[in-house]
Amino acid sequence: MSQKHSSMPPARSPAATLDIAAPAAVKLLEAGMLLAEFGSFGVIWMQRDLSVDDTFGRLTQFVTKGAPVTDSILPIIGLENEILALAADPHRVLELPAVSVATGSDRTGKLNFTFMWDDARDGPIAIAYKSTSQTEIEVELSKQIRARLMAEAEVTAKSKELARANTDLESFAAIISHDLKAPLRHMRQLTETAFENTAAASDGTMRDILRDIEGQSRRMSHMLTALLDYSTIGRKYEAVENVDTRALIATVKASLPETGHVISVTGHWPELSTLRAPLDLVLRNLVGNALQHHDQPAGQVTAHCEELPLHLAFTVSDDGPGIDPHHHASIFLPFRTLQPDTETASTGMGLAAVKKTVEGAGGTIDVVSDPTTRRGTAFTFNWPKVLLL
Amino acid sequence: MMARKVMLLGEIGVGKSSLARRLVFDKFDFDYKPTIGVDVYRYEVPDSPERPRMSLILWDTDGNFGDAIFKHIYTKEAAAALIIGDMSRPPSLDTMIKLGRGFADAFPGRHIGYIVNKSDLSPDPDAVPLPTQLTQPGTSLIRTSAKTGTHVAKAFIDAAGSIARRNP
Repeated sequence: MSQKHSSMPPARSPAATLDIAAPAAVKLLEAGMLLAEFGSFGVIWMQRDLSVDDTFGRLTQFVTKGAPVTDSILPIIGLENEILALAADPHRVLELPAVSVATGSDRTGKLNFTFMWDDARDGPIAIAYKSTSQTEIEVELSKQIRARLMAEAEVTAKSKELARANTDLESFAAIISHDLKAPLRHMRQLTETAFENTAAASDGTMRDILRDIEGQSRRMSHMLTALLDYSTIGRKYEAVENVDTRALIATVKASLPETGHVISVTGHWPELSTLRAPLDLVLRNLVGNALQHHDQPAGQVTAHCEELPLHLAFTVSDDGPGIDPHHHASIFLPFRTLQPDTETASTGMGLAAVKKTVEGAGGTIDVVSDPTTRRGTAFTFNWPKVLLL
Repeated sequence: MMARKVMLLGEIGVGKSSLARRLVFDKFDFDYKPTIGVDVYRYEVPDSPERPRMSLILWDTDGNFGDAIFKHIYTKEAAAALIIGDMSRPPSLDTMIKLGRGFADAFPGRHIGYIVNKSDLSPDPDAVPLPTQLTQPGTSLIRTSAKTGTHVAKAFIDAAGSIARRNP
C-alpha cells in the first residue's frame, strides 16, 4: 500500500474539477479517449460491494459488468478488505503491478492496477494500464532479464565459436587423413616395386629395409583410417532405439576373437532407449583392449553394469598388468599407446574414441589402476539414461 | 464457493507456469517463456467427502523474486504455498527449502506443499536423491511432470484438502 499526496490527481470525480470547455482539457480528454481506444488504459467503477458498475476502454473489455469484480480480476481475491479500507483515506491507493489474468485460455497481458476511492460515487475505482517498465519492480526486473539475456547471448556466441572450431578441427582431421592416404599408397607401391627389383641373394639388407618401410607405411595407413573414424564420432549415429544392454554385451563378447581369457558379465543389464552404435563401440573397445593388452595367456575380464537413477554405470575390469597412474590421463589422447609400435597392431585411437563417444553422449569415463599395489585395470563409464541430443 | 489463494514459488525455470497451465488448460508449452511479474489462474477443485468444492486462485510468480516475495503485496492473504523445484537441478531443490522456511515464517500455520517437477527426466524418479529436509515425515512432497501431467492434479487437490482442514 502506498500513500499519494496532494500532487496525486484525486480519484474523486475528475469531471467535477475539469473545465471541459478549456482547450487544454479538451486535448487531455481526447488523449485519454485515444489511449483507451488503443487499449493502453481503462477504468473500472465498482459499487461498495465490489460489483462492477461500469467500465471504460478496450483494456477492460474482459471485465463483466454487474458481476463481482473478483470474477474478472482474480488477483483481487483476498484483497477485498484492503480495497474497502481505501474509503477511509481518499489519498491512499493500492497498486498491483504486472499481473495478467487468464480469461478462458487467453491472457490479458501484463497489466498494472491502481485502486482508489471515488468519493462522488462512494465506491472503489480501478485504473488499469498496460505494464511498461516504469514501475520500480519492472525496472529492476528488466535489468535482471537484460543481464540474463546478455549472459545467455555470450554463452551462445561462445558455444557457436566452439562448435565452429570443433567442426574445423574435424574437417581438418578428415581431410588430412583422407588426402594423405593417396601419396602413402603410392609410396607403398614404389616400395613393393623396388622390393621386387632387388635381387634376393645380392642385397639382403636392402630387402629388409624395404620390408620395414612397407610395414611402417601400412601402419601409418591404419592410423589415418583410425583418425578418419575418430573425426566422425558423434556425426554418424542413427536414431535412439530400445537397446537390451545384456544382449548387446553378449554380442560384443561373442564377436571378439577366442583367447585364453574368461569374459564374465555381472550386475544388472537393463533395457534402455539409447543410441546402440556408440554404446557398442565403447563396450567393444574396452573389452577388446582388456584382452589385447593382457600379459598372460589366461586371465579374467569382467563387464559389470549397475543401474543408477540417472545413468547406467558400466565397469570393464581385468587382471592384466595394470596402467601406471602417470599414464591415466594420456591414455585417452589420440595415438597414445603404452606398448612399442611393433608389439601390437594398436593405432592408439581406441581409448580416445571411447572417451569422445562417452562424453558425446553426456557421460563420463574414469580409470582405476595402480600396478605398484595390485594387478588389473578398471574402466568405469557412466552412460546417461536420457540422452541430451 | 470457497476461494483460496495459492502461491507458486520456486527458482526460475523449474516449471511453475508449466504446472499451472497443465492443471488449468491441460497443455504443455515446449517454448520456455519466463514469467515476469505474476500470472493468475483459477482452478476449481470438485468437492469430496472430506471437503467442500474449492476455487484455487493460483499466483504463478516470477522466480526472480526469491525471498523478497514474502514482503510483497502479491502474497497478501495467501492460504498456501506450493514450492517447486527441478528434479534435475539440485540447487533448485535447496532453494525450495529456503522458500519453505520463508513462507512458514511469514504465514505460520498455512499449508506448504513441495513439488519436485520434471520427473519425466528420470526413468525412476522415486530413486533420485532429494535433500533430507524435503523427505522428513510430515512434509508434503510430490513428484510431478508438467510435461506428461503425472501427479499434477493430485498436487493441487492435496493442497486443497490441507487448506480446507486448516481454514474450514
